[in-house]
Amino acid sequence: MDSKLKETILNPIFKGNPITVLVLGICSSLAVTVELKGALVMALSVTIVTGLSSFVCSLIRKTIPNRVRIIIQLVVVALMVILVDQFLKSFESTYPLDKQLSVYVGLIITNCIVMGRIEAYALGNKPIPSLLDGLANGVGYGMILIIVAFIRELLGSGTLFGFPVLKAIGYTNNGLVILPPMALIILGCIIWIQRSIQKDLQEK
Amino acid sequence: MNTNSNTYTVIYTTVVCVLVAAILAFVSQSLKPSQEANEKAETISQILTAAQFGEKEDWQSKGNAKTLAFYKENAAEAIIINSKGEKVGELDINSSSIYNVSQLKAENYNIKGAGEPQLPVYIFKNGVSVFPVYGAGLWGPVWGYIALQEDLKTIAGAYFDHASETPGLGGKIKDDPEFRAQFAGKSIDFADEAVFSIVKGGAPEGKVNAIDAITGATMTSNGLDAAINTWISAYKTYINKNQAE
Repeated sequence: MDSKLKETILNPIFKGNPITVLVLGICSSLAVTVELKGALVMALSVTIVTGLSSFVCSLIRKTIPNRVRIIIQLVVVALMVILVDQFLKSFESTYPLDKQLSVYVGLIITNCIVMGRIEAYALGNKPIPSLLDGLANGVGYGMILIIVAFIRELLGSGTLFGFPVLKAIGYTNNGLVILPPMALIILGCIIWIQRSIQKDLQEK
Repeated sequence: MNTNSNTYTVIYTTVVCVLVAAILAFVSQSLKPSQEANEKAETISQILTAAQFGEKEDWQSKGNAKTLAFYKENAAEAIIINSKGEKVGELDINSSSIYNVSQLKAENYNIKGAGEPQLPVYIFKNGVSVFPVYGAGLWGPVWGYIALQEDLKTIAGAYFDHASETPGLGGKIKDDPEFRAQFAGKSIDFADEAVFSIVKGGAPEGKVNAIDAITGATMTSNGLDAAINTWISAYKTYINKNQAE
């Protein structure tokens, strides 16, 4: 694998993470990180949607009229999101999760990461690298989502994937952690940690 | 080719939209049966949970087929009644016409005066009857099922669900088994000003038709309280008639 492709895949995971560096997709990372299970499904759904819509947009990139390109991208993204939603609803095992995520699956359409990657990468690159770029960004997004959800579920409900972990040691659930502001604080801490490791992100 | 001309743009967008619409219509049509089956199995698992036949999560892990089979084995009948408490029809459990959430929503409008309500009652062989309830929570609808013992007075159990209540607060109506456990053994009382109440700050000692509200979820508790009162009152004639028997 050549180094440029490797960079495409690895960059969104840490150095150019869509949430902590580009600060995109904050809204959904506040909303669906109350429990790990929901965060995991959301992470997978976003990964699939960013990957596939980047791929399709890259395939048709030369035919898209420049003046309506955002609308066309939006149609492609919406198509993928609705497909993911419909498939989640139709399997016995994923149906309860889809209900739990409710509107947030539909709101992937408005996730800035999806449109951002299409605009920034897929419209200027070949389909396969675009697919990988989309998937990698989804993974980078999902990673942060799972870290935040881990902390919030553990401290907020005392459980992990629904199993009571902290109940045995007499932990009292912290209601504040369940509310969205705490997700923002945790996210802020993650960004802080990343910036102190990656000195080049700090403004002079 | 000039991809920026007006004609090209119009034709291109039209083709894309028609194509996408066709794909979505096709997928939606082909997935519809399995989605409806999931929805129906969920409704039934909620009814079973309310009637104290195990927990909803267990039914979910057992799968749709087992849930339906168990219901058919244990249910005596599922009837539809009108506002006068008369039986106007029977629910066919095999068809897809089981009362789902959107149907409950429609009936909720009817109860409030938009039309003649047609309400379902699920009766089990052990005498337990399950009544649905539907109302407005804080962020969206809340609904659920109240199961009454054979005397149609004592509550056997209850199950509630919601569209978008705050997880950990209002969401407890679904997720907190302790909240639901409060219902068992309580009773409904048409003589009281409220058939059943969910009381903020704790139910008065000894009151048989009241339970404690959820701390930090007053709006959801009030919404559920109103839902139960509206719906159980809609069943009043039916319940009174069959209580006397």
